[in-house]
Amino acid sequence: MISSAYAAAEGHAQSSGLPQFESSVFGSQMFWTVVSFFVLMYLLNRYVIPAINDILDSRSKKIGEDIQHAERARQDAERLLANYRDQIERARQLTATTLDEARIEAAAIREQALAELNEELSKKKASAVEEIERMRVQAMEEIREAAVELAMLATEKLIAKTVTKPKAESMVKEALDHMEQNRVGMRH
Amino acid sequence: MFLTATAISAEAAQAAAAAAPRMDPLHHFQVIRYVEIAPFGLDLFSISNSVLWMWISVAAVFAFFRYAMRQPALVPGRLQSIAEAAYLFIRGIVDENIGHGGKPFFPMVFSLFFFVLFCNWTGLIPASFTATSQLIVTATLALGIFFLSIFLGFYKHGLKFLGFFVPSGLPVLLLPLMVPIEIISFLARPVSLSVRLFANMTAGHTVLGVLFFFSATLPWIGSWLPFGFSVVFTAVEIFIGFIQAYIFTILTCVYINDSLHLHH
Repeated sequence: MISSAYAAAEGHAQSSGLPQFESSVFGSQMFWTVVSFFVLMYLLNRYVIPAINDILDSRSKKIGEDIQHAERARQDAERLLANYRDQIERARQLTATTLDEARIEAAAIREQALAELNEELSKKKASAVEEIERMRVQAMEEIREAAVELAMLATEKLIAKTVTKPKAESMVKEALDHMEQNRVGMRH
Repeated sequence: MFLTATAISAEAAQAAAAAAPRMDPLHHFQVIRYVEIAPFGLDLFSISNSVLWMWISVAAVFAFFRYAMRQPALVPGRLQSIAEAAYLFIRGIVDENIGHGGKPFFPMVFSLFFFVLFCNWTGLIPASFTATSQLIVTATLALGIFFLSIFLGFYKHGLKFLGFFVPSGLPVLLLPLMVPIEIISFLARPVSLSVRLFANMTAGHTVLGVLFFFSATLPWIGSWLPFGFSVVFTAVEIFIGFIQAYIFTILTCVYINDSLHLHH
């Protein structure tokens, strides 16, 4: 029953065909399609497209400018970097030369100090040698004096009395002791 | 006995046909005149549901773009981004398919795309009307593009434009065969352009109409299936609406390009 109802409905639809082919409404639809389209085109062309155009243009301009800015900043930074590198290099060279000079100077000072030390040492040595020599001469002088004295003493004794051999021996011993004493006293 | 039974059943069937919900998926393609303006018997200015939804589409396109670009900012907001993306999308189509000399046609192509797109899309609103499901609407647009391309061809190249129908590098013997084919294919352009859009819209909405009818009339145990399909198919229709507007626009650009640059 329902299917026959559908059949009836279908029959009705088929009899009228597609509503799109009903030519009585063609004229007005054509007219209004054209009008609507041109109105839309006018409105978009007048209000929308220029706005989008402008904003896109200004954005691309802005991006271009930003890129230029960035490029310039990069160049500046590179120049600065080169500058700093240069300064560092110069500072390094300065340090190196200063260090070299200091080394040379230090060497010179050391040399000089060494020379002075050597000189002083040799002076001291010379004075010590001189002192030793002087003391040696003095000792010799004293020995000589002691010998003379001893000789004189012995002679005096010999002249003053005749001495026996033991006496003489004691006398010589005495003289020698005396001289020894003298010598010891001189050394002290 | 048998006779009366059939008579009763036939009567009952007729009554049922009158009372039952009638499936008429083509009903919503019916153009209904709201205001009839027909001076001198020429029905040229009547305002119908088709015309009304054309206007609504135009207003919607303009309102969207106007609102999106109300305060154009260098750093775009969401809507402005969409508007710009749409602009660049169309510009891409124009640049790709027309290339050199395509710039003057940009406003037309842009408007055409959004006119067709929004006519397709507003048709999906319940109780609305799909203007692009009317063959006469798509044919008007297609014929406009067709005559524009002919005008451009003769305007740019004079009579040399007729060389468009003579494929280069063909033996002379084949020309009597090829030239008519070329002419027919050229004349078929507005037909295929308009029928493609109209048929797609009509078919899609007819399917939607059938699905809606079944989901409304079937008992609950069966209605969820067509209803579910109708939901999915509405999404498909949104996609088809976009694709058809895209194809319409691309072909427009191709035709303009052929007239501008005579590729054959």
